[in-house]
Order: sequence, then structure tokens, then C-alpha cells
Amino acid sequence: MVAGDVVAGSPAERERIVVIDDDYAMRLSCHQILTKSGFEVETFEDGSQGLVGVAELRPSLVVVDLKMPGLSGMDVIRRVREIDPGIVLVVITGYATIGTAVEAMKSGAYDFLPKPFKPEELRLIVSRGLERRQLHRKSRELEVERELMKRRFISFMTHQLKSPLAAVHQYLDVLKRLESTGEVAAQRAEWLDRCLTRTAELRNLIDDWLLLAKAEGSTLVAKRERVELAPVLEGLVASYEERARAAEVTLATELEGASYAVVGDRNCVAVLFDNLITNAIAYNRRGGAVTVAARHEPGEVVVEVRDTGPGIPEEAVGLLFEEFFRVRRSAGDGSGNGEGAGNGTGGGGYRGLEGTGLGLAICKRIVAEHGGGIAVESEVGVGTIFRVSLPACAEPAARSDEGSEA
Amino acid sequence: METRATVLVIDDDPDFRASVKAMLEGAGYGVDVAGSGREGLRKLREHRPDAIVLDVMMESIAEGYAVNQAIKFQPEFEPYADIPIVMVSSIQETPDERFGRSSDVEMVRPNRYLTKPLDMPVFLEVVAKATRRRSAAT
Repeated sequence: MVAGDVVAGSPAERERIVVIDDDYAMRLSCHQILTKSGFEVETFEDGSQGLVGVAELRPSLVVVDLKMPGLSGMDVIRRVREIDPGIVLVVITGYATIGTAVEAMKSGAYDFLPKPFKPEELRLIVSRGLERRQLHRKSRELEVERELMKRRFISFMTHQLKSPLAAVHQYLDVLKRLESTGEVAAQRAEWLDRCLTRTAELRNLIDDWLLLAKAEGSTLVAKRERVELAPVLEGLVASYEERARAAEVTLATELEGASYAVVGDRNCVAVLFDNLITNAIAYNRRGGAVTVAARHEPGEVVVEVRDTGPGIPEEAVGLLFEEFFRVRRSAGDGSGNGEGAGNGTGGGGYRGLEGTGLGLAICKRIVAEHGGGIAVESEVGVGTIFRVSLPACAEPAARSDEGSEA
Repeated sequence: METRATVLVIDDDPDFRASVKAMLEGAGYGVDVAGSGREGLRKLREHRPDAIVLDVMMESIAEGYAVNQAIKFQPEFEPYADIPIVMVSSIQETPDERFGRSSDVEMVRPNRYLTKPLDMPVFLEVVAKATRRRSAAT
């Protein structure tokens, strides 16, 4: 897509313009003016020849005189639009026929130029018309791209939904089939645990997916109010103490200031930092640390979630917020046999169990809806910092609202 | 006394590997497992199985296709090119249905294609046939 854009926008590629006018002097002057501006110009002296030319040359823009013997300008407009609705049509008309020119625009002409006109008027109208064409083209390309992304998302999503289902189905199927032989008796408890874990994974994925689907064309933010971040962050950190201990990761907060108030939706903000802290624990090393730090910047509150994990390679940073993108973990980190996601409760590590692959996409969405920003700073082998900026709340706390939580 | 046939299961889902391994072992096969395409290719050289069970979407979404292509067409895997590959995936369409219009479809075409979750009787029959053909050939 990037390459396509470069070609389409390249000034080196000369745009082609067709001029259809029965007046020889008009054809000549249009030809001169537009050739001088760097366009490739072909002229035709009547509608039917002009249409053959348009069909063959596929120009970016057609200049057509409305009043011609034979096929009328209006007919030409209609047929050019049938050949390719992307071709920009500029109508030349005498003062007497301005009413018709308006008609022509209703039929799809881009603009009209009353006779007589100055060279710069023609140049201006042509360049504006071509600009518009570029915009149209770009938006169409974006649409196609979005459509492709959507299809890819759906096929990926389907796979993500089917995998845990297939795993659970097979465990149950095999358990049932081998029940009589007693061969799987030893694994029975472990497998049932795995079934529960995988169904939980499936449920989380569906929840995350629904959340994102809801965000599309709508908004996740239900309410904008003053949210004091310190208790939210401290609460989250406290709730992950156990998981962090199991992963042998220490959790710490750096919240020196008394108040870090932002404007936002309390639930969304909690989901945002929940995702970031979960990731920081999951993508860490034994004996590593997670630090949640907040500070004030002009008009904003900045929160950093830092980990001491394997870090994110530079080329992956740009893809981080894409749905289902996961950073490949190098085989060297962790304990060798697994990736350390198992929390010590049986099963061993499984890459797919750390999250749904949608968490950061949700974070990005939430931050955007708050008018904030999210940035990543990472060094391979050292760790990663997720930096969230949210608009600060200038108003003082309403006592009744905040008192209970702080 | 003939030695029992061995199957190499290449799948990134540890739960899928566990249940398939148990099923195959229950049916009397020796089973080796690999969690990625790369590990699978390594184990292929180490143990030379009689059949391969290969997942499609692993670390990358087309990893299984690449492994299939490598085993069947790359010179370095030439000694293993005739080992039957049973491709398994939650993708409903076979590679032929998915890439039928492509001229390179044979690159990703396995010996058999089955969808997940596996229909165990069918799966065991397919594996039996695949390993039988091999022992007959050698």
C-alpha cells in the first residue's frame, strides 16, 4: 500500500488530460496552457471522437465544452462517468449557458469555467480537480485496505476462538475414549484443569472482542468525570500482588504527588492500566520488577508502567497495538521448558494463555477516546516502558465522591 | 519383531499435543512432539518418524505450509520428502480449496488434510494408513 501511494502521488508521473471542444482556438489554447503546466494533453473536436479518446487514454481529467454540434456536452459527461466515475470533469461554457453548467454539475461534472477565461483560471480549476481526485483515490485505497484488515481480523479471530474449543473438545474426547484402558487416569486431573483454563481463555477473548466491537463506531467512554488515578493504580497493584509473587516479580509504585486527577471514565481507565500491569508481569523475568509511576506534566498526567522483561525489538514496536500481534519471546528467557505463564499451577507455560492478544488494541482505543496518548520505549534485554498521558483535571475533588476511595 | 511406528506431532498448542499424543500412544504408536515448525524440522532429522502430524497456524499464520514445503521440496530435507504429512488445522478449507488458483498450490499440499477438533477414529485410520504405506515402502 505504501508503494502504491508513492506512485499515485508522484509528481514525476505526468497526468493525462483530454480536451473536447469544437472550437479550434479553444483546443489550441487549452493545449498550450496545460502542456506548459506539465500535463500530457490530447484534444478532440467533437463528443464522439472525444469519448473514444477517453475510453482509450483513461485520462485523469476531461475538459469538455457544453455546446458542441453532434453529441452534446451533457451526453459526454454522462458517458465519461460510465467509462470511469473517477475521471474529473470540467465544463467550459458561455455565459448564456450557465444554467446548463449547473445541470452538468448535477450530472457529475466537478466544476465549470465560463468563457472567456484566463490561463491561470484554467490551471487553478484543473489542479483543484486533480487534487480532489487524489483524495478520492486515497480514501478508496484506505477503504480497500480496511476491508482487507477486517477480513484478516475475522479469520484470525475465528482461529483464536476455535483453538481453545478444539483443545477442550479433544481432551474430553480422548478422556472418554481411553477411560476404560485406565491409561489417562494419571492425566485426568491435569487435563480437566487445562480445560477450565482454556474455556476461561475463550471467555476472556470473547469479552475483549466484544469490547473492541463496541468501540467501533461507538464509544467505550460512558462517563467523563474526575478520576483520581492514585487509588486506582494502588488498587490494581495490590490486586496483582499474588500473581506477581508467583511469577517472582516485585511490584512497586512511585506516586509521590498527592493527587493525579484526570478527566475520564473510571472503568476505562481501570481496564487500561489493568492491561498494562498484567502485560508487565507476564512479559517479565524471574526476579524482575514492575514499576507504576505517575507524574504531572503541563495539562497532563503521565503514568509509566515499566517492566524488566525481554524488551521489544524495534521493528515490532509499530505493530504492538495491532490486534493479535504478539511479541515473539526468545527461547533463551524464562526457565527453558516454558514461558512462565503457568503461574505455578500445573500445565506449564503456554504463550497463548497470557492474554487475548487484544489488550493493547483496547488500551490504544481507550487512550484515544480520552484524548490522551500512549507511547512505548523499549530496550531489548533491559525492559519496556509504556507511557500513558491523560488530560489532567483542573477542578478540585468533589469531597463526597472521592473521599471513600482514597 | 517389527518396531512400532512413530509419529511426529508439530503443533504450538500444548493441549492439542497432549491429547493427540495420548491417543496415538494408546493406539500403540511412538510419539514425538514439537511446539514449532523449527523444532519440528530438527526432530524430524533426529528421529525420522514414519508420519508427521502438522498444524498450520503456529507462531506465524502459515508456518505449517512452510514446513510442508520445506520437507517435500527443499533439497536439505530430501531424505524425508516421502514421509507422509497429515496436516491438521481449524481452517475448514484444504490448501487446495484455499489456494487452488495459485500455481504453487502443490507446495502446500499435504498427503492428508484434517480439521480440528480431530475425528479420532478417522484420524487413527489416516495415521494407520500413512505409517503402513511407509513400512511397506521400506
